[in-house]
Amino acid sequence: MAVLEIEDVVKRYETGSETVVALKGVDFGIERGEFVSIMGPSGSGKSTLLNILGLLDVPTEGTVRLDGEDVTDLDDRERTLARKETIGFIFQNFYLIPTLTALENVEVPRLFERDPTTGDRARDLLSRVGLADRVDHRPSELSGGQKQRVAIARSLVNEPRVLLADEPTGNLDRKTGRQILEEFTRISETGVAVVAVTHDEVVNEYVDRTVELVDGVISP
Amino acid sequence: MIFDEIYRRFPALLVARRNLVRTRMRSALAMLGIVIGVVAIASLGMFGTTLQHSATSSLGNIGNEVIVSPAYDSGLTTIDKRDVRTLERAAGDAAVVPLRQRRSMVVYGRNRLSVTTYGMSNPGSTFQARSGRIPTPLRNGVLVGAQLADKLDLGPGNTVELDGQPYRVKAVLARQTGFNPVNTNSAVVIPESAFNGTGYDQVIVTASSGAAANRSAMAIKDALNGRTKRVSVTELASITDQIGQFFDILNLFLLGIGSISLVVAGVSILNVMLMSAIERRQEIGVLRAVGYRKRNVLGIMLSEAALLGVVGSVAGVAVSLLVGLVINQVALGSPLDALQPENLFYLGVAFAFGVVTSVVSGLYPAWKSANERPVDALRN
Repeated sequence: MAVLEIEDVVKRYETGSETVVALKGVDFGIERGEFVSIMGPSGSGKSTLLNILGLLDVPTEGTVRLDGEDVTDLDDRERTLARKETIGFIFQNFYLIPTLTALENVEVPRLFERDPTTGDRARDLLSRVGLADRVDHRPSELSGGQKQRVAIARSLVNEPRVLLADEPTGNLDRKTGRQILEEFTRISETGVAVVAVTHDEVVNEYVDRTVELVDGVISP
Repeated sequence: MIFDEIYRRFPALLVARRNLVRTRMRSALAMLGIVIGVVAIASLGMFGTTLQHSATSSLGNIGNEVIVSPAYDSGLTTIDKRDVRTLERAAGDAAVVPLRQRRSMVVYGRNRLSVTTYGMSNPGSTFQARSGRIPTPLRNGVLVGAQLADKLDLGPGNTVELDGQPYRVKAVLARQTGFNPVNTNSAVVIPESAFNGTGYDQVIVTASSGAAANRSAMAIKDALNGRTKRVSVTELASITDQIGQFFDILNLFLLGIGSISLVVAGVSILNVMLMSAIERRQEIGVLRAVGYRKRNVLGIMLSEAALLGVVGSVAGVAVSLLVGLVINQVALGSPLDALQPENLFYLGVAFAFGVVTSVVSGLYPAWKSANERPVDALRN
């Protein structure tokens, strides 16, 4: 059974008098441990798809299922909880909090949990991504690749089953990009489903499967 | 460390503190606004208290006193003994001091002075001695006011000549401060029996409180002014009441002025928080994406506002205390008068106002941040 699945999803935006259809009936699903890339030119609806997969946005029509359960119509609080329990996010611009150290940035998603083991887990994750010696550095003291690795550690701290990455190599040089993609492969091997939205062809060398999205429609 | 413990319990505070430190100058200026507002409220409040204190201390406790004089408009020039007895019964617990009064010539050594002489049978019930002892009742001798004693260099045991009669000084009276209906500082007190004639010029009734004085005054009027008006009764409490009311209004007015500056400070916090909410829009979007609930975001933003408010108010209260010490040193000559309960009340009020203003100012930016949809916040 797919961990995360969408069926016949349509997304329309009202912009003034015009209606833009970003997704025109998309079916997509991902299994445990799978690493999938979603390719497509800009404006193809990639970000919209990722937002809907990440429970950040709701589709106009269609169904979103998490572990076979319909989560399309959850309210904001329930969706927030579902995101926390299932989904990890990695952003193109890393979006680390500049005032916090690498370690604190990794701890951020669990800050309100009052869980004494968070600190140790964050440290483990940072050493897993090769940053054991950078835990007390601020984001401004880290390179682009290091920042992205902190972001990966942060996305894993809630032990998600799905990892969603938006242009994960977009702001990195080729070599660093490959290191990050190798990291994703290792993560998917632990049973986490990884979805990377990108237009970087290199990503396809690492994934199990590639999905093309053009003008809001998936072309197999 | 105590801070680690606090941050572990209130994680929003940790993030809030880091965020404030990130824009150090801006946070400091917003805090300065709160400091100024708190100082304005607290020090104006304390200034009002000091004014009131200095005014009421110069009025003494006249609010407790009732002065009974003969009803001149009924043709009476003295209060006779029978009236005084009636009055004593009517006054209840209050101390009743009937007195006579005249101008006399005092001669001591080579000095001759014209002074007021009071005749009282029991001055010990209202006056204290600075040196010597006041006999009860006063049958002979003379009591000398402090200022007069200093001027003539008199002490207990000396003998003075009063209107040609020798009197032995029994005591020097303590110096009276403030306004007083019977001012003994440059006067002498002799036994009532040393006066010729009958009847008294004045009766002073001293009660335990302003309210008791008022009750005595009513009772005296009822008892003596039945068929014909025999005495006129002057209550000094009404004067002190009016003065008190005036100071209450003045204090409110001063607090009002102080509050305006705090409102301005609130607006500056609102501004700072809004700017920070806009700058950190994406960051807050990330927090929401990774599972922060709206109220977590609200908590962080309100903690920032509260932190600005608490730190600003603590600094404000510290500065206000200094200002209070200086005001009291200058106005009353005693800096520690700044620590009276009323002033502590004003400090508390100013502190509370500072914190509340900050938090209220933070409400809108916090609400705005918390309610933004993460998709919108994360859009580049």
